[in-house]
Amino acid sequence: MRAHAATQEQTETDTRAKTSLAKPWNVIVHDDPVTLMGYVTKVFVRVFGYAESKAHKLMMEVHKKGRSIVWTGAREQAEMYAQKLQSHHLLTSLEKVED
Amino acid sequence: MWVARVAEGYVFGELTAAAVETLRGVPMLIESTDERVRARLLPETCIEPEDEQHWREHAVPELERLFLSRATLVRRDLETLRKLPDSGLHALLITHEHTNAWLAALNAARLALYVLNDLTAEHMETEGFSGATQKQQEAIVRISLLAELQAVLLGEFEVGDDEASVEDLVDE
Repeated sequence: MRAHAATQEQTETDTRAKTSLAKPWNVIVHDDPVTLMGYVTKVFVRVFGYAESKAHKLMMEVHKKGRSIVWTGAREQAEMYAQKLQSHHLLTSLEKVED
Repeated sequence: MWVARVAEGYVFGELTAAAVETLRGVPMLIESTDERVRARLLPETCIEPEDEQHWREHAVPELERLFLSRATLVRRDLETLRKLPDSGLHALLITHEHTNAWLAALNAARLALYVLNDLTAEHMETEGFSGATQKQQEAIVRISLLAELQAVLLGEFEVGDDEASVEDLVDE
């Protein structure tokens, strides 16, 4: 029992260490001259569940600045969101958040 | 082209031969193996090569399957295009259930036409049209037609509810 407890404690310590070391990832959407603005907004609402106003604001940032960080968080979830955005053909990239 | 909203979805009527040809091109554009189309629909996503390789191995195959399944759905819907009596024009029903698939498919086709015809952001502006070649101008017209369908499906045009059925509309 003691050995088991020690192993469990070690695993928990490892997990905490990995979690704290793992850098978050940004999901970035880039502007393109073809995709309709209303479509981009709709996709943000659909993929992230954002309110229409937040989705519209992000869409305008993409349009005016050429890109917008639309979500930041754990890599696995960032990849899932990027895949969903690309499934709707939004020009999407992923990048690690630098210190 | 006219649009009516019926219980099942949207009916697009009086589609010309050119419009029908453009719509029939949608699934083919999604399935295109042209490198320019693939680079746009399945773009480089990560900066680091090992991250990109991970992305190509884990995310891209599923996206490819999704695109092909969408192309099949659109092709099946296009098989239901109906010829309107007398005029020789056509009508197409896009059901509510298929709206999201169509929105994405239309977007993919527009992007594919853009890259296949070497268009630029300037070409897409009203003043840029005259500077485009004839082939590019034809592509821009097709891109605009597909955008009109997208805008309707997005609810950006006011389309009154029609109490008539699809059959009533196309058999008139």
